[in-house]
Amino acid sequence: MNRQASGIRRGGAVLFMISALLGLAVITSAEEENLATVSVSLAPRAEGLILARCSVCHSADLIVQQRLPLVRWEATVEKMRHWGAEISKDEAELLVRYLSARYHPGAPDRVPPLNHEIGKTEPLTQEPAAGGRMVGVAARGADIFAHNCQACHGTGAMGGMGPKLAKNPILTQEDLFWETVLHGRGPMPAWGSVLNQQEIADIHAWLLSQ
Amino acid sequence: MNATGSAAPTSRRSMLKTLLQGLGLGLVMPNLHRSANAGNESAGTRETASLTVRVTHPLDAETPVREFTSFLTPTSRFFVRSHFGPPPPEAISQANWRLRVGGLVEQSREFTLKDLRHMESVTITAVVQCSGNGRAHHRPKVPGVQWDRGAVGNAQWTGVRLHDVLGQAGIKEQAHHVQFLGADRPVVDSVPLFVRSIPLNKALHPDTILAYEMNGRPLPLLHGAPLRVITPGWMADSCTKWLTDITVQTEEAKGYYMQTAYRVPTRPVEPGTSSSGPSTPVEKMIVKSLVAAPQEGETVKAGSITIQGVAWSGEAKVVKVEVSIDEGKTWEPARLVGEDQPYAWRQWQLIWNAKTAGTFPILCRATDERGDVQPATSPWNPSGFLWNGWDRVTVTVTEA
Repeated sequence: MNRQASGIRRGGAVLFMISALLGLAVITSAEEENLATVSVSLAPRAEGLILARCSVCHSADLIVQQRLPLVRWEATVEKMRHWGAEISKDEAELLVRYLSARYHPGAPDRVPPLNHEIGKTEPLTQEPAAGGRMVGVAARGADIFAHNCQACHGTGAMGGMGPKLAKNPILTQEDLFWETVLHGRGPMPAWGSVLNQQEIADIHAWLLSQ
Repeated sequence: MNATGSAAPTSRRSMLKTLLQGLGLGLVMPNLHRSANAGNESAGTRETASLTVRVTHPLDAETPVREFTSFLTPTSRFFVRSHFGPPPPEAISQANWRLRVGGLVEQSREFTLKDLRHMESVTITAVVQCSGNGRAHHRPKVPGVQWDRGAVGNAQWTGVRLHDVLGQAGIKEQAHHVQFLGADRPVVDSVPLFVRSIPLNKALHPDTILAYEMNGRPLPLLHGAPLRVITPGWMADSCTKWLTDITVQTEEAKGYYMQTAYRVPTRPVEPGTSSSGPSTPVEKMIVKSLVAAPQEGETVKAGSITIQGVAWSGEAKVVKVEVSIDEGKTWEPARLVGEDQPYAWRQWQLIWNAKTAGTFPILCRATDERGDVQPATSPWNPSGFLWNGWDRVTVTVTEA
């Protein structure tokens, strides 16, 4: 499994270099197969990122209708980073690989929808354990909040596009809080595939301290 | 502007929903509620009763071309485009909303909507068209909302002349450009605001208006309530919605949406390359026509078939529309019909005597008074603006 994965990574890196050097927009059928494999192996993380980082500002349908060569995906992801999308360098690289593998100029008009499996497996791994909830650590929660929630809920959780969360009554209704974070509510995306249970508990603990 | 407490977004949403329902857009809303749930997104588009949604959030939706058999596009079926979605209702409420006019003026001014309604009103019928309308037809494909044919509409706009509003403030001599800013805001502060400007001569043109009504009713939220710019004959990137700030200045507006986006190369570029050469803002519309009926993929019986559509050319008059059913080898002139008004589109008709069964492409192309003719395909540009290639629908003719 590991060897296969690193092979794919090497393949991706080589393809990246060729494209970057020659500005290739044409993709041969052999490469296309390669791309499909890359796309599948990257899907869970990339789709989680799209959900968490991109759909804060725009829905994913804007992304999946594009058919762009790698260089333009790079430029697009870089533009979004520049504009404040919370994406690390590694995450950006992963997104570019995934997007250019899946939504390249040769891709058909209709590409199967983003992976539904993420949502389906979520309850198994993400519902609070039967033995009670995890104990959150407020000090850790501050960072996790800043990286994931602040764009909408504001610095210090004082509100922005999304509601103010500091001293918000939802913090005392834990079931509702977890439900909202895991599955989304209204314009808020579901975070179940991005944040693990400990991270959500940490955020909750930190919010209570605000 | 900050929502306080968890109830706020719900009420904002339900208010938006009420407004949308008033527009006959209720069917779009269930999708809006799920907007951010990428797991439920499909790659295709959704046809609603009235609009084809391209992007769920912020809403970008186009008009099915069959609607263009009528001269005026109904408000509820008019295409919707914005960068950040409508501002929160409190930002544009009657109590809070003001139009501020400043910059290179003798006296900064502030107007309420009531003030503007007391000024002389003007009504103009004009085509409003997204600069990216038809982007999906460019090859190689370009990034951006993949608009097909319907990011355009023809409506009646009522408001005050920008000339009169600027006149009340008094323009200083060094003024060359007029900048617009609306009340809409991005989710994240680091995203540039939608700041745009138009040259002073267009701003002072007696037909350039600040509209508070669309098709005889107060401007709806999705179309820029309470006030938007209408620059007849120019693409909609100049038609700022939810207008709050007008700044008179020497230079063109700064920032992404003026200096980087909404520009086309001044010289032809190699398709597929990125642009680094000189460019100019997208301003005037160019000559264009659409087939509104029959519809793409329609099956019709052999015999007399009415082909109809619309044609427009911004500030110029359309003088000819031609139809071809043989891939552009021969063209037959259509009859220009209906109302003939500057800035509006012109309806056209042609009776086609379809004698044989089979599949036929119907193409149309328009010519304006300057002699500009719609080309088979438009020059490629990196952002896919100003598509005006021959329009095409394919129909199947069956035995009568």
